[in-house]
Amino acid sequence: MVAWAKQGHDAAFRELVRRYERPVFSLLYRMVRDRALAEDLAQETFIKVLNGIKSYRPEFKFSSWIFKIANNAAIDHLRRKSIDTLSLDGAPSAETADQIRATSLQLDSRGESPLAEVESRELGTAIEGAIARLRPEYRSCILLRHVEGYSYEEIAETLDLPLGTVKTYIHRARNELRGYLEDRRD
Amino acid sequence: MADIMLHLTTDEIELWAQGLLPAARAIHLADCSLCRVEAERERKIILELVQLPKFAPSAGFADRVMAQVKIPTASGGWQV
Repeated sequence: MVAWAKQGHDAAFRELVRRYERPVFSLLYRMVRDRALAEDLAQETFIKVLNGIKSYRPEFKFSSWIFKIANNAAIDHLRRKSIDTLSLDGAPSAETADQIRATSLQLDSRGESPLAEVESRELGTAIEGAIARLRPEYRSCILLRHVEGYSYEEIAETLDLPLGTVKTYIHRARNELRGYLEDRRD
Repeated sequence: MADIMLHLTTDEIELWAQGLLPAARAIHLADCSLCRVEAERERKIILELVQLPKFAPSAGFADRVMAQVKIPTASGGWQV
């Protein structure tokens, strides 16, 4: 398909978008927790990938290339906006109900927006809330591992991280998720 | 023998959750309540993650992308 796209076939470009739009958008949406923004970043990712298709090296997995660009876009955005500590459940350091309320992302305040309601429905489950509390680096690793089914080696290649770091991030992320979920259930 | 006595590592617990733990290590798991509790907790979270839904962008996403893509031509130029 990529070789076909490189030859300039419009249908091949469309097929690449069709194949990867859901996984790429899902990763970005869970990273930034804002539908409109995730869509902008996904669009930016596909435009960069497809306009640079001639420079794609086939020894590198195409999906790894596209996820690398998507993840970089998300991380850059989170760093710029410093919103990585925001979550539905308040800052990780918040202990009392007042602290949690004060540091929570208030979806209700955007309640008049239909898009906010969709986001609340889609990302409002306990597990999605727990993922949102992870550091962005942990979040991308755990999503690539367990949602996309990537191997540790593929994640290391995609995110340009040493294999040991990927393993550490994933183990810590699972531990933190368990902790957040068990806290909620207690 | 020592292999059977050692507690499972996090990598081995992940293998077990995927049904890929070697039989020799499964013997330890069967006998060790500590490892069983840990493995069950880990399996639960992995299952929750694996079952997460995929989200779709809004309708017309592909068209919006394609409107901004320059498609290479056989002659080496671009068609927009």
